[in-house]
Amino acid sequence: MGIQIRNVQKRFGAVTVVNGVSVDIADGEFFVMLGESGCGKTTTLRMVAGLELPTSGSIHINGKDVTFAEPRHRDIAMAFQDYGLYPNMTVFENIAFPLKIRKVPQADRRRKVEETAGRLGIADYLSRKPFQLSGGQRQRVSLARALVRNPKVFLMDEPLSNLDAKLRAVMRTEIKKLVSDLGITTIYVTHDQIEAMSMADRIAVMRRGDMVQVGSPLEIYDRPLTRFVADFMGSPPMNLFPASLKTPGRPTCQIQEFVDSIPDDEQALIAGRLDSTGQFSAGIRPEHLKLVQPGSAGSARAVVDFVEPLGQTTNVYLTAGETRFIAVTDRCNRQVGDVVGVYAPPEFVRVIAN
Amino acid sequence: MSAHRAPIRRFSKMILVYILALLATAFFAFPIFWMITASLKSDQSITTYPPVWVFAPTLQNYVKLVEELGIMKMFINSAVIVGLSTCLAMVCGTLAAYALARFDIRNKQLIAFEVLSIRMLPPIVSVVPMFILARWLGVFDTYWLLIAAYALSGLPFVVWVMRVFIQDIPQSIEEAALIDGCSRLEAFWRVMLPLLLPGLAATMVIVFMFAWNEFLLASMLTSNAAKTLPVIAANTLNAKSIAWGMASAAGVIMSLPVVVLVLLMQRYLVRGLTLGAVKG
Repeated sequence: MGIQIRNVQKRFGAVTVVNGVSVDIADGEFFVMLGESGCGKTTTLRMVAGLELPTSGSIHINGKDVTFAEPRHRDIAMAFQDYGLYPNMTVFENIAFPLKIRKVPQADRRRKVEETAGRLGIADYLSRKPFQLSGGQRQRVSLARALVRNPKVFLMDEPLSNLDAKLRAVMRTEIKKLVSDLGITTIYVTHDQIEAMSMADRIAVMRRGDMVQVGSPLEIYDRPLTRFVADFMGSPPMNLFPASLKTPGRPTCQIQEFVDSIPDDEQALIAGRLDSTGQFSAGIRPEHLKLVQPGSAGSARAVVDFVEPLGQTTNVYLTAGETRFIAVTDRCNRQVGDVVGVYAPPEFVRVIAN
Repeated sequence: MSAHRAPIRRFSKMILVYILALLATAFFAFPIFWMITASLKSDQSITTYPPVWVFAPTLQNYVKLVEELGIMKMFINSAVIVGLSTCLAMVCGTLAAYALARFDIRNKQLIAFEVLSIRMLPPIVSVVPMFILARWLGVFDTYWLLIAAYALSGLPFVVWVMRVFIQDIPQSIEEAALIDGCSRLEAFWRVMLPLLLPGLAATMVIVFMFAWNEFLLASMLTSNAAKTLPVIAANTLNAKSIAWGMASAAGVIMSLPVVVLVLLMQRYLVRGLTLGAVKG
């Protein structure tokens, strides 16, 4: 049950947009595909929707092979980035349209539309045309139209990207609540890591047509597999330091102190994550770095380059030799030019593939 | 000082704009006025110089057109031929435009260009071969020949114009319809077509007018049975004399359907139907 994507490829002429993606999405799961524009996330979604046909591979929805089925035979609903509302129809007609096509009796139709509209808080606008609505209201209409027929699968293609920041935060929570209440399997495409972190049961980070890493939001945040994922998730992003393994068990790093006492289980990962030249990256999240007295045991010497007080926390930009990195601390009164010791707790140092 | 002058300047500017608008309207409306009055004048008053502005209107020119030249039959010919060929060009052209706008077709640009190429040939060049072919196929002086000719010459225009109209409609509207349970055809019929009405109306008016006024093919490819209005209108001018009154009356009769069509289509000829479909 749920959705199975098997080795799906999509080529447009000579360009490979999706490069053999495989993933199992469980029944009722909220699955987010995250990546920069052009990474193939939308194309993958459109192949699940049936708006695009894969060059190779297969897609199953609820146990049925739908790889080449028409969209209408997949029992899916979809919300579009630009909403895709029918401009010549009223809000009521828009929401009722999928029911009308499926020949639901008129009385049932009215009841369902009113129920769904009420749930989404647009019951007062049923007689308006889309152009008389604000962006947020339009997106609610498109969600209502998608949800009105109780689909098994809900696909969302950056539905919030045209809304302003505040509304986005509100809609984020609403959508998440709505689909988890209804228990609908959802695939959600976004380039916004905060949306992904806050909504997803599982995130797939995509890059150049590949799913680089699939995991729970915290897994992806805490244990990124590659530099790309580490850099993409979190703001400010993870600090990454070039490192290599010349002698087994003794990794070397640009800031040697950070890798000196990596725990054994993390050390064991190095061999698998080396690139062809024997390099990897040592990563640590800015909020895990501790500023201590210069010269304290296990700390590296650094100079404060720039200070960004954000109220609750402070971003401290540091330089150690040629290397620049960031520490996020509680409020502090460090000054530019201060010499500090930087301590990386070994349990937070990550081995990351380049 | 200047604060007082500004409204005056704006007022005089407005007067100037109105005068120019009136002049332009008069310029375009006068020939129509002249044609209508001439069609109602008797043979004597039409040739009077200087022209008379007050005269007793008579319908004798119209009566002569009906009785002597049998214009009713030509009117029906024109209506059937132009009506059918316009419908044919609209249906085929719009479907072709849809395919060119929405589907991945190999050499799409080439096909679109190829469709247009039929219009690059001056009609005068193709009329003789068409005449020979028509004789050979036994369709000379029939409805079918002109219907085919007009449909073909209207087609490229429909394809190119409707393609742009279709491309202007966001694809997500149609995809939403596919997801909502429509087949391609249903999505086109229920969702696209209502949005395309303004474009269809404008295109249809132009295709209709082109075929309605077409003279060259009509005069060469018909002799009697399928003769159309422009040909009969030209018949009022012959070697011996020019029947100004009848020519004007024929002009009025020919203009009427076009005017009626434009009035009928006017409510679709408004922009902004797709307003608010997408983000805004």
